[in-house]
Amino acid sequence: MDLAVITRNFEFMLGGLALTIQLALITLAGGLLLGILLAMARLSPRSWLYYPASVYVHFFRGLPLILVIFWIYFLSPVITGRSLDEFLAAIISFIAFESAYFAEIIRAGIQSIPRGQAMAAHSSGLTSFQCMRFVILPQAMRNMIPALVTQAVVIFQDTSLGYVIGLREFLRRVNLVDAREARSVELYLFAGLVYFVFCSIGSLCSQRLENRQERDSL
Amino acid sequence: MIEIKNVSLWYGTDHRALEDISETISSGQTVLICGPSGSGKSSLLRCINGLEHFQQGEVIVDGVSVQAPDTDIHKLRSDVGMVFQHFELYPHMTAMENITLAPVQVRKKPENEARDKAIEILERVGIPEKAFKYPGELSGGQKQRVAIARALAMEPKIMLFDEPTSALDPEMIKEVLDVMIDLAKAGMTMVVVSHEMGFAREVAHEIIFMDKGRILEKGTSHEFFAHPKNERTRLFLSRILI
Repeated sequence: MDLAVITRNFEFMLGGLALTIQLALITLAGGLLLGILLAMARLSPRSWLYYPASVYVHFFRGLPLILVIFWIYFLSPVITGRSLDEFLAAIISFIAFESAYFAEIIRAGIQSIPRGQAMAAHSSGLTSFQCMRFVILPQAMRNMIPALVTQAVVIFQDTSLGYVIGLREFLRRVNLVDAREARSVELYLFAGLVYFVFCSIGSLCSQRLENRQERDSL
Repeated sequence: MIEIKNVSLWYGTDHRALEDISETISSGQTVLICGPSGSGKSSLLRCINGLEHFQQGEVIVDGVSVQAPDTDIHKLRSDVGMVFQHFELYPHMTAMENITLAPVQVRKKPENEARDKAIEILERVGIPEKAFKYPGELSGGQKQRVAIARALAMEPKIMLFDEPTSALDPEMIKEVLDVMIDLAKAGMTMVVVSHEMGFAREVAHEIIFMDKGRILEKGTSHEFFAHPKNERTRLFLSRILI
C-alpha cells in the first residue's frame, strides 16, 4: 500500500469530484423539472399529452444509460452536422434518462393523494393548476422525498459513466492517475470510499426524512 | 336557483348511475336526498357543481348552464360550497389556511381580510380556538365544522352536503347538524345527501328518495314520513327509522 499516491494527486482528483458534483446537481435540477412535466402529462386526460409522455418514459426506462450517452454524443453530429461538447452531451443524456425515472416517482406520488382532495379543491373554485400547486404537490412531495433522494444518489453514481465520452469527472481522473502511477488498488479503493461517503450521506438524509415523516403522520 | 332537467349519467358504457332526473330547487330551500347506497345520490350532487360529467340533460345553477362550453366552471363552483363525507380538509394546512386558501386564490381577497372573515366563520361554527390547529389535531366533528367553515368562507349561494355526518361518531353528529340547521334557518339554499331524518323533519322543505339512479318519490317532509306512496320508500323508511 502506498497511500502517498493519493495525497500526491489529491488536488487533481478532487477537481474531478467538483465536475461530478456539478453534473449531478444540474442533472438533478433538470431531471426534476422535466420529470414533473412528464408526470403531469402522464396523468393528463388529454391523449396528445399522455401518449407521447408515456412512450418517452417507457423508452428511456428500457435503455441502459451508457447507450443513451453514446447515442447523444455520436448521433447528434450526424443529425446536426456539428460535434457536441462532451459536458453538454453528458448533461443532455443524463437529464433525458433520469427524467424518465423522476417522472414515475412523481406520478406515483401524485397518485398517492386521495381523489377527494382534488375534488374538494376544485369544488371551491380552484383551477387545476392551483389545485396541483397548493393542495396536491405539497402533500405528494412529502411522500416522494425518500424515493427522490434515492434517485439523487443513483444520479451521483451514474455520472461516472461520463468517462465513456472522455469527460474528466472524478472516476476518469482517478483512472488517469492510475495510468501514470500504476497504483490501481490504492486508487480504486480511494475512489470507492469517496462514492461510498457521498452516497451514505444521501441515504442517511433519506432515512432521517422517512423517520420524520412517520413522526409527523402520528 | 337550481334546475335539473332530464339528467342521465353513465359510468362506462353500461352502468347507468342517473336516469332522467328532473328537479327544481328554489332559493332558500333545503332539499334532502336519501336512498340506499349506490342509488346515485352523490353523483347527482356532483352534477350540480360540475364535478361529475353527465351525458344527457342540463343542469342550470343560478341561471348558468353547468356543462355549457362557454361556462366559467371555476366561477360557478366558487359560488357553490361543498362538504364531503370524509371532510377532505387539506392535512398539510391549519384550519385557518384551509379556510383562507380559496378566498385568497380564487376571490383574490387580501390575506388579512380573509383571515378576519375566517375567524368570524369559525366563531359561527363554534370553534374559533381551533383556527391554528392542523386537521390531524381535530376530532371528526370539529373537522367537519372546519370543512363547513371552509365552504362558507367563499360566501356561496348554494351549499351541497354529501353525507356530512356518515363518518362521524354518534356523539359528534349533533354538533355538525346544529350548524347545518342554523344555516338552513338563515335561508341558505342547501342540497343535503343524508339519512338524518331528524334533520329532515326539522328543516327540509322537500325530501327526495332515490333508488337505482331514479327519483322514486318526493314530497314535503310531512308527506314523506306520514304517507309514503312508493312501496320501496316504505321499505327504506321502515329500515332506517327502526
